Amino acid sequence: MKRALEKNSLEWTVFGVALILLVATLAHLVREAVTAGASPPEVVVQLGTPKRVEEGFQVPVTVANRGDHTAEDLSVTITLALTAEREEAVLTIAFLPPRSRRDGWVTFRGDPRGGELQVGPVGYASP
Amino acid sequence: MTLRATKAPVGRTTGESVREYGRGVAGGLLFSLPLLYTAEVWWAGTTMEAPRQLAYLAITFLLLLGYNRYAGLHPDSSWTEVGIDSVEELGLGLVLSALILYTLGRIGGQQHIDDNLGRIVVEAMTIAIGVSVGTAQLGGGESEPGMAGTDRVTFGGQLVLSCCGAVLFAANVAPTQEVGVLGTEMSPLRLIGVAVISLFLGAVILHHSDFRGAQRWVRADTIGAMLRGTVVTYAVALGVSAAILWVFGRLDGVGVNTIVGQTIVLGFPAALGASAGRLLLQ
Repeated sequence: MKRALEKNSLEWTVFGVALILLVATLAHLVREAVTAGASPPEVVVQLGTPKRVEEGFQVPVTVANRGDHTAEDLSVTITLALTAEREEAVLTIAFLPPRSRRDGWVTFRGDPRGGELQVGPVGYASP
Repeated sequence: MTLRATKAPVGRTTGESVREYGRGVAGGLLFSLPLLYTAEVWWAGTTMEAPRQLAYLAITFLLLLGYNRYAGLHPDSSWTEVGIDSVEELGLGLVLSALILYTLGRIGGQQHIDDNLGRIVVEAMTIAIGVSVGTAQLGGGESEPGMAGTDRVTFGGQLVLSCCGAVLFAANVAPTQEVGVLGTEMSPLRLIGVAVISLFLGAVILHHSDFRGAQRWVRADTIGAMLRGTVVTYAVALGVSAAILWVFGRLDGVGVNTIVGQTIVLGFPAALGASAGRLLLQ
């Protein structure tokens, strides 16, 4: 049976906005699907400038994933080698999606300026 | 999600539409809030690949088309209207999902757009089904669905509604780690136990408990018909269970035993949804 669609202007507006949102979402997902690479997660760690805090010295850590897959259960070890001792801090991140970054901080008792900061072993799984 | 209970084909006033959308929003959040508050769902949005998100969208759209066609709507709604309603519901789902996730601090500028969009899409699908159900079911008075002589028990229609009920109930449980733990650790005997309980509950709800709508929607006069209805309903539940598990990546890289185990474990809530849920959704 044929009859005209009975819709008021509000309903047409809601439909229009919904259609635009849906098409935009689909377009983005299709583009994402087409351009997606297949490289495993590739994690890059960068250390910032240490800052003096009450507990010691705080070092900003930026962890980025340049691969095409999410890194899961990511753990980054950062070591501070001083002349007398060695300090180790571990930063864990549950999920690091592709082309994303997370900021974190590690704190050492010793002064990083008097020693050497190193990014130690980095481990992660791919879900 | 438009309801036409009036006899004459008259369009609704803006006020009526606003009230209808209000019901949709309420229903959408009512059914999906557990998912919006579940960390595993945010992570699923982060890790789910684009093709799978597209598949999830397509499946949800089909379910919405089916639900809008077979429940709540006036029986003479055209497919065009059903399509328009389904698009509206998906759009509302996306907006609500983005709004709530942003308010909860689960999406934002510091994350990549793919990550944000993934989270929005994964959450929006259940919200959209909730919006659809809410609009049709939460209305009072004259917009009571299923009126105007829609007393038709078509097999296809009931199948679609069983799917919707199963999805609504099982989707809240599927992404949690517990399903994986149970599916892996339960012995075959216990799994059989869960399957038997699921089947038994389905039979009781559909045929023996005077459940709301059971008399009207489930016609089974012989033992054979009852058995058939029970088995078909459980099969729908298992199918939906496996599909949802696949969407959430729970079947990736696991052995056959784990696949079967998880499907049966999730098949329990899915079976409740496919039987009791389906009767309530009519």
